[in-house]
Amino acid sequence: MLVEYPKPRWTEKFLLLDMFEGLKTTLRELFNGPRVTIRYPEERLEPADRFRGMFRFNYDRCIACKLCAVACPIDIIYIDVHDEQREVDGKMKKLKVLDRYDIDVKRCMFCALCEEACPTKPKSIWLTTKTYELASYDRNDLYFNMQELEYWDDRPQYTGLPEEEAPKQIGGEVE
Amino acid sequence: MRYLVWPLVKFLVAFVIVQVIVAAMNWIERRMLGFMQARLGPNRVGPAGLLQIIADPVKFLLKEDIVPSSAEKVAYFLGPMLPLIPAFIVFCLIPYGPPPTFVPTDTNVALLLILALTSTGVYGIILGGWASNNKYSLMGGLRSAAQMVSYEVPFGLSIVGVLMLSGSLSLVKIIEYQEMHVWNLFPQLVGAFIFMVAMNAENNRTPFDLPEAESELVAGYHTEYSAMKFAFFMLAEYSAMTVNSCLIVSLFLGGWSISIAGWGITTAGLQALGVWGGLIGAAIFITKVMFFMLVYVWFRGTFPRFRFDQLMDLGWKWMIPLALGNIFVTGIVVLAMRDLRFNGEALLSIFGAVTIATTLFLLMRGARKPVAKVIHASRVSEA
Repeated sequence: MLVEYPKPRWTEKFLLLDMFEGLKTTLRELFNGPRVTIRYPEERLEPADRFRGMFRFNYDRCIACKLCAVACPIDIIYIDVHDEQREVDGKMKKLKVLDRYDIDVKRCMFCALCEEACPTKPKSIWLTTKTYELASYDRNDLYFNMQELEYWDDRPQYTGLPEEEAPKQIGGEVE
Repeated sequence: MRYLVWPLVKFLVAFVIVQVIVAAMNWIERRMLGFMQARLGPNRVGPAGLLQIIADPVKFLLKEDIVPSSAEKVAYFLGPMLPLIPAFIVFCLIPYGPPPTFVPTDTNVALLLILALTSTGVYGIILGGWASNNKYSLMGGLRSAAQMVSYEVPFGLSIVGVLMLSGSLSLVKIIEYQEMHVWNLFPQLVGAFIFMVAMNAENNRTPFDLPEAESELVAGYHTEYSAMKFAFFMLAEYSAMTVNSCLIVSLFLGGWSISIAGWGITTAGLQALGVWGGLIGAAIFITKVMFFMLVYVWFRGTFPRFRFDQLMDLGWKWMIPLALGNIFVTGIVVLAMRDLRFNGEALLSIFGAVTIATTLFLLMRGARKPVAKVIHASRVSEA
């Protein structure tokens, strides 16, 4: 299907109507057009449902299979496990217990292959938390151990520059 | 006192006001363009971003002034200053309000002087572009030179019709003639249109901003300039814009007066009110000038950039013949008015008013609707 415009009449050519039509459009936009800007620290966009954001880890679901660490392309998931005899339903069972589950988030590229590899249902590591405000003034803040991965809700949210600290830390002056 | 001190004081007051307008234009332009493009524009510094007007000059002053090591030093320093000087001098020739208080200097060749001064602005641009020792800067400078030389011709020719009608080169006389007859916009509609196009081209503004076409030339003639030198180029550009807005208001829109055939706000009426009348006149003048400054931004938000050959086509093949035709018709009208006592100016005014009214009517009626036409896929290439 083609969209065809009627041929301009000579009056319309002579009076440069198409140009004035353009001017009219911009004038309309100037006074009552939509404004699509999101003023970020004050307004936030809700990310999409499958947005890959900050990790969330669930200690209870995790079976310590290390599949996520294997799947990780840059090997930033560190897992230590020891075996333990434990009583489950009246029987003694050998269980794996997590000692360490650390993610070096500063090197992460958020590919979500660990989430894909996780065999538990629901996943015990997942990225769809819709949180993306991960910036930090200290690189050590971005190394998360398993408690931090599970309970990071009280991490400070970004609300603007901290007025006194900001220039000192950006400038890299170490005291 | 009469010839030295008062003109200087008036010039300085007008100069300060104009510079405030120029500084404010920075904010107005960015904000208005933002709104036209569904954005918000600068809104972080102060209420509605208004302190941007102060923040930008402060930034320009504090930034590092980089001079390329391979630049031609003297010409590089002269580059930003040369367009600034004529753009500033011209402000003492503009009539801001009813004479004698609000006119810094009323010479009988004011218009000629303004044309002569504003056309020297191109030297700074081409000198700066060449001295930067950068091929993009040089290209920008050359384009600017070619464009300004081409459009100087229709720019000058479009004024001739006004001069023939009013019979004077003095801007005060031209404005006084208009208030006794009708705004020159109506009898000289074609002239006003050509003037409008040519003044956009003269100031290197969109759609004629080829000297600083970002997608082709980085930033054009001011690629290598930073800090206050760059600010000087901007200041010169916006000052020249203000000058041209003042010119079009004086020549085609009756300056400080709002009147037809002596009815309305006229010079005599304003002079009778004393200083307050003068201030009202100046306010009317500045309102009209601001309208045209906003029209510059409006054009920038609307029209895409011309290709260089299209620019030259428009200038030489359309604008100049049109301007010459306008001069021819106006000449016949002036002769008929003198010798045959036939009021041709009224006829021209009616023609102009009808043209404007028709355009507005057709615009209000809305755009032509696209018609869907079904064509088989195999025949698309034919259609």
